[in-house]
Amino acid sequence: MRKSFIAQNPSVLWFLAGLAIFTLGVTFMSEAAGVDMISTSFLKTLGKTLCLCLVAIAMDVVWGYCGILSLGHFAFFGIGGYAIGMWLMYARTEGIVATSLDSAALPPTPQEITDAIGSQIFGVVGSSDFPALWAFSHSLPLQLLAVVLAPGLLALVFGWLAFRSRVTGVYLSILTQAMTLALSLYFFQNDTGLRGNNGLSGLQNIPGLEARGQAVVSLWFFWASALALGMGYVLFAYVVSGKFGSVIRAIRDNEARVRFLGYHVEHYKLFIFTLTAMVAGVAGALYYPQAGIINPAEIAPIASIYLAVWVAIGGRGRLYGAVIGAALVSLMSSWFTGGSAPNINLGFYEIKWTDWWLVLLGVSFVLVTLYFPKGVGGIFDALVRKTAVERQGDYGPDKGAWRNDEGKPS
Amino acid sequence: MGDVTLKLSKNLLSTLSVTTLIAAGSGAAAQDCTIKVGVLHSLSGTMAISETTLADTMQMLVEGQNEAGGLLGCDLEAVVVDPASDWPLFAEKTRELLTVEEVDVIFGAWTSVSRKSALPVLEELNGLMFYPVQYEGEESSRNVFYTGAAPNQQAIPAVDYFLEELGVEQFALLGTDYVYPRTTNNILEAYLIEKGIAPENIFVNYTPFGQSDWATIVSDVVALGAGGNQVGVVSTINGDANVGFYKELAAAGVSADDIPVIAFSVGEEELSGFDTSELVGHLAAWNYFMSADTPENEAFIEQWHAYTGDEARVTNDPMEAHYIGFNMWVNAVTEAGSVEVDAVRAAMYGQEFPNLTGGTAVMLPNHHLAKPVLIGEITADGQFDIISQTSEVEGDAWTDFLPESAVLTSDWKDLGCGMYNTETETCVQLTSNY
Amino acid sequence: MLRFMLVCLCLIFVAPVAHAQSLQSLLQDNADAVANPSRSTVDSIVSALAAAPVEGSPRFLEDWRDKAIWVRLSDGIFFSAAEDGDGLVLTDLDTGAQTTVAEDDGFDQIRPNAGVRRVINAALVQFQLSDADVTRRIAALDAISRDPAADQLVPLRQSIPGEPDASILARKVQLERQLTARFGDSMQERVAAINFLSGDLSVEVRGVISQILTTRQFVGISIPEGTNVAQIMEIGDDLDEAEAYQLLVDADLAPATVTPDDIVATLTAQIEDGQVAGVDVSTLGTDAARIAAYDMLVTRGDAAPFIAPEDRASALDAHTFYLAYTEVNVDITTAAEDAEAAIAMQLNVGKTLDLTLDALSLASIYFLAAIGLAITFGVMGVINMAHGEFIMMGAYTGYVVQQIVPDYTLSIIIALPMAFGVTFAAGVAMERLVIRHLYHRPLETLLATFGIAIVLQQLAKNIFGTQARPLTSPDWLAGAWVVNDVVQISTIRIAIFALALLFLCLILYILKRTRLGLEVRAVTQNPGMAASMGINPDRINMLTFGLGSGIAGIAGVAIGLYAKVTSEMGADYIVQSFMTVVVGGVGNVWGTLAGASLIGFTQKGIEFFNPSNTLAAQTYMILFVILFIQFRPKGIVALKGRAAGD
Repeated sequence: MRKSFIAQNPSVLWFLAGLAIFTLGVTFMSEAAGVDMISTSFLKTLGKTLCLCLVAIAMDVVWGYCGILSLGHFAFFGIGGYAIGMWLMYARTEGIVATSLDSAALPPTPQEITDAIGSQIFGVVGSSDFPALWAFSHSLPLQLLAVVLAPGLLALVFGWLAFRSRVTGVYLSILTQAMTLALSLYFFQNDTGLRGNNGLSGLQNIPGLEARGQAVVSLWFFWASALALGMGYVLFAYVVSGKFGSVIRAIRDNEARVRFLGYHVEHYKLFIFTLTAMVAGVAGALYYPQAGIINPAEIAPIASIYLAVWVAIGGRGRLYGAVIGAALVSLMSSWFTGGSAPNINLGFYEIKWTDWWLVLLGVSFVLVTLYFPKGVGGIFDALVRKTAVERQGDYGPDKGAWRNDEGKPS
Repeated sequence: MGDVTLKLSKNLLSTLSVTTLIAAGSGAAAQDCTIKVGVLHSLSGTMAISETTLADTMQMLVEGQNEAGGLLGCDLEAVVVDPASDWPLFAEKTRELLTVEEVDVIFGAWTSVSRKSALPVLEELNGLMFYPVQYEGEESSRNVFYTGAAPNQQAIPAVDYFLEELGVEQFALLGTDYVYPRTTNNILEAYLIEKGIAPENIFVNYTPFGQSDWATIVSDVVALGAGGNQVGVVSTINGDANVGFYKELAAAGVSADDIPVIAFSVGEEELSGFDTSELVGHLAAWNYFMSADTPENEAFIEQWHAYTGDEARVTNDPMEAHYIGFNMWVNAVTEAGSVEVDAVRAAMYGQEFPNLTGGTAVMLPNHHLAKPVLIGEITADGQFDIISQTSEVEGDAWTDFLPESAVLTSDWKDLGCGMYNTETETCVQLTSNY
Repeated sequence: MLRFMLVCLCLIFVAPVAHAQSLQSLLQDNADAVANPSRSTVDSIVSALAAAPVEGSPRFLEDWRDKAIWVRLSDGIFFSAAEDGDGLVLTDLDTGAQTTVAEDDGFDQIRPNAGVRRVINAALVQFQLSDADVTRRIAALDAISRDPAADQLVPLRQSIPGEPDASILARKVQLERQLTARFGDSMQERVAAINFLSGDLSVEVRGVISQILTTRQFVGISIPEGTNVAQIMEIGDDLDEAEAYQLLVDADLAPATVTPDDIVATLTAQIEDGQVAGVDVSTLGTDAARIAAYDMLVTRGDAAPFIAPEDRASALDAHTFYLAYTEVNVDITTAAEDAEAAIAMQLNVGKTLDLTLDALSLASIYFLAAIGLAITFGVMGVINMAHGEFIMMGAYTGYVVQQIVPDYTLSIIIALPMAFGVTFAAGVAMERLVIRHLYHRPLETLLATFGIAIVLQQLAKNIFGTQARPLTSPDWLAGAWVVNDVVQISTIRIAIFALALLFLCLILYILKRTRLGLEVRAVTQNPGMAASMGINPDRINMLTFGLGSGIAGIAGVAIGLYAKVTSEMGADYIVQSFMTVVVGGVGNVWGTLAGASLIGFTQKGIEFFNPSNTLAAQTYMILFVILFIQFRPKGIVALKGRAAGD
């Protein structure tokens, strides 16, 4: 006698409804609808925020539900962006090259076209040959596949190696961070063939849609991001519900016991790790055409840590918490760092938020970790009077024993 | 490193969008009109140290112009936004400046990647930007005026100086691994080979941003002396990494007389963070040095000190670029009688304005300046002794020393094309490479 | 000896008597070259001065070199001048009369560049080699070694017998041998000099040998008589066919090959009414079609034919490709080759040694950065993401101390304990306020300490700015330990190495030999049991964490001395430091040492194979570490029994 998925997870309906209202509202206020209450640049910001929310719920599933603090999920996000960016650059350049070669005396050979595209794309970084990584860049379907498969494959291989040798806890976190660092250093190298520090740029110009104008294209991307977020939310809500979800949460709470119960813990973890990586890739593929440029700094270790910060502040272990955290913190930080926040004059010192926002963020982050482990999302719990199991204990092998008090000198 | 929290637009509510208003207030301009000047320089993040100075410079220039009676009878207003050293934000802020603030011109960007980020937006919305920093060339946008040096205005004369004056026959091209050093070194390699330097006598090395472990690289450079030829280092090392590099060089007992280093990214501003005693005698190539002995420069430095209220602040090359760029724009607007982008652009070609180092800068149809090239030796007080000054060199968007770009030329005035293939006599593309 | 003195006297006194022209008038004859000196013009003045020696010319050359010559703009007269506030103290070049002017407006300083200065130095050599002033003699020798020339040989030889200083004498003899090897008169003399230099590793000597062994590439039907052949090049081994054929083409010994560009150019030139050789232009979109069309043009005689492979092969066969020495004498080049071989052996040993030293140094830096973590993370199991920021705090403490105490040695002595104190206090505060609440929630410790790291980094930016700050090492740490020109390492790196060793011993001592160490180990292994033995776990945790943090502070001073002080320097080391501890094996200081060595040596090893790309070395090093941990999750030195991590 199991209740239906929706009945079990009423928050999904609430979330979808909210998202739909938000999307419709923004659409009607957008420049494309002729109202111009929301400028195109702000529309892009909103669209990008939705993508960040998507990667945040992926992070929440892997960390808040499965207990793997991955400091590498923004790398998967970046890979997704690179994958779509390669096609965008190739296709756009192909159009330019085709027009310019048309005027040549002889019709171009296929080799000449490839060479011309290569020198257009890589001329900026002093090269002209297509690296092997770009082998599929001419084909949109293949690159779209790569958006999902490339992060998935990396996560699969990395996860398989890590989980197989039972690297857990903070060790795994540090390892994922090292992976991100290695990846961003790899992308930074010119020899890699991804244009080094310059990255891929001009991604907002979608080949074939030049005539549409950015106002319309941005709105489409906003819709796509909203759709992806909605679908991602449902997908993850489904994954973490039911028996599968219970096993996942059990792994978070006590991995050894789950293993003793006969579950293949590694398989579960690997599945979650890979699935979330793929979703992160999709989020990245939607994000970067709106941002316009992707470069290796985007996947530096700090980015993934901020992802964890969003989820922690929003509230772990609840999907809407991740959405709230990502939207709130990222919008707030752009508000503060953008200089829009009014400075506070203390008389002897003027607090400029461009300088002090990170201090505020850091402090509030420490406070949230210490005193509000449930984050902002915990407020909703309080509203619906959902109480968590009381945790206690410190010191020693048997968590739950009152050794904390015993340990104190009297 | 990009700062992810800064990724989203600060434009939470466009009504709250930041503007720094510098109105003259004196009532010099009678009409109720303002001409908006966008300033797109990072005020926070890693690039803030360099770019804040330029944002200040622009505000100083705008203020000065207002005191001098404004422009076309209107007051100028500087709209300062902060892209926070985050490259995607440059695109976003550019869009915001052009569509929400509706500025008439933008002065901004520092790194190549930030320029490449803003380019598509500028071209889409037909904006106008002045870019003040020395860069790698291989680009010419209809909507950007490059007031900094192209490689042939900095790198090539510097290497010529090495070849002719110092008799260097063995080159070490050391750079930070990003587009400017990569492209510059590619150009220099081709140029040196053309000048008869054997490829095996050119050592190229790239290091990451902020590199601190220089021991092996310095000993590699010292070992180049084993060929019995004079060794010279051409450094495109960026920012902090220079500190460790010069320290290691000094520790290895290498003086500027043994192995001279000529740097393209070390100016007065950077030197103020160094212990300069280790750098004395090493070289830098720029289009401007604070030590230039002209009345214009003296006045500019005085204005700068008065504006910042700090006698210790130094001036540098990108500041001069903005100074020239801004004044040329003012003159072009006056000439065109309008701030409309296409009219101003047409009026920009052939604009002349005196350099701070003497001589006259001219805006060429390829959107680059003709400027003199200066080479300075670092002195113990963090300044440069100017030891060589050429006559004006015309900036070349497409280098003549790489085969693919040798055939390209840029002429927005007569050909109306920034990437014109002189061999096939066709325009490769009207948008720029980004 | 007596003869030598006489020569010197002649140089100084006799010459001016013989020529009455004054220095000023001589300079005015070359006024433009004096005022705007360039390497291409300076020779004319130097030779003019040499041809008509006038009194005071060495003095003038020195002043000129030292940027102490000014020109009066009104009449172009040159003065030796010293700046005096806004004004100048002018010295007449001929009479030595001094005048003072209040404003330097009418005067221009003449600034010869480094290339000109080098020529001037070379010209001064003959005057300075026997100068009473030691620094001038050394300067002269430096000038010779930078710019060896044949005409320096005689004055150098003459100066040797009268040299009183032993070390300068040795240098002179060495330089004399080098000059003789290159410019000596007779073959025997040169061979003897080359043999003398054999086995010397110095850059100078290697330069001399490689100059003697300069080769040029030639191609011809046969090798002409009297050529000193260095190597005959085999096609396939030393040259590939295309290169070799191109050499033939360049030497006009064979017809040029037809390249794809040539085909396009020829076809384009022959387009008539949309057709080339009867083929529609629109069909020429493939290489095969283009070649076919070109072939038709060839048969019509309108294009140069392709070079048949057999023609190419026979042309290559008919010619000899060889490298020839520019030095014609075989005996000399043979001696030089032998010397080079002897040097090469030692050179390889030296390079290996140098690389080992660099790797050791890098390992000690990583170790120093990580050793604090080895305590907080390794022993206590606390993840402190702010560890890097403690390093930064230490470095900034050093910077601040240096601002207050200008004496570099003293300031370092003060800065080290200060840095320890500051970061110890910060560590204790952090442990009390944050970490204490999060034992058993390691993931959250990670996040909370990361929050602190952001705060500290931003605070540093707000206080000190984003620009790198200098932390200057005292003079006794400034140089390098030089074994020879190949093997050397800077003193500051040795100091860091020593510091790392010191800390290794200190920590081992504290952990293994003191009461505190015993309690630390007890608390880590079983806090409950330790508590019941009367140990106060809270206090021990606090002290241990403070100790680890304090050491990070000292590491910061050391790292700041060798590189730079920025607000982001901590972030550069944090990931590496954690990897060092994890690779080495958590819970063991020896493990951290092993981890640092492994990482340092691996990175230098990768750099050795790919010297032009340091970034790649870092990337592959991290990749290697990731894989290493997969296969040895407990690190190199795994703890037996109950591990600290699980």
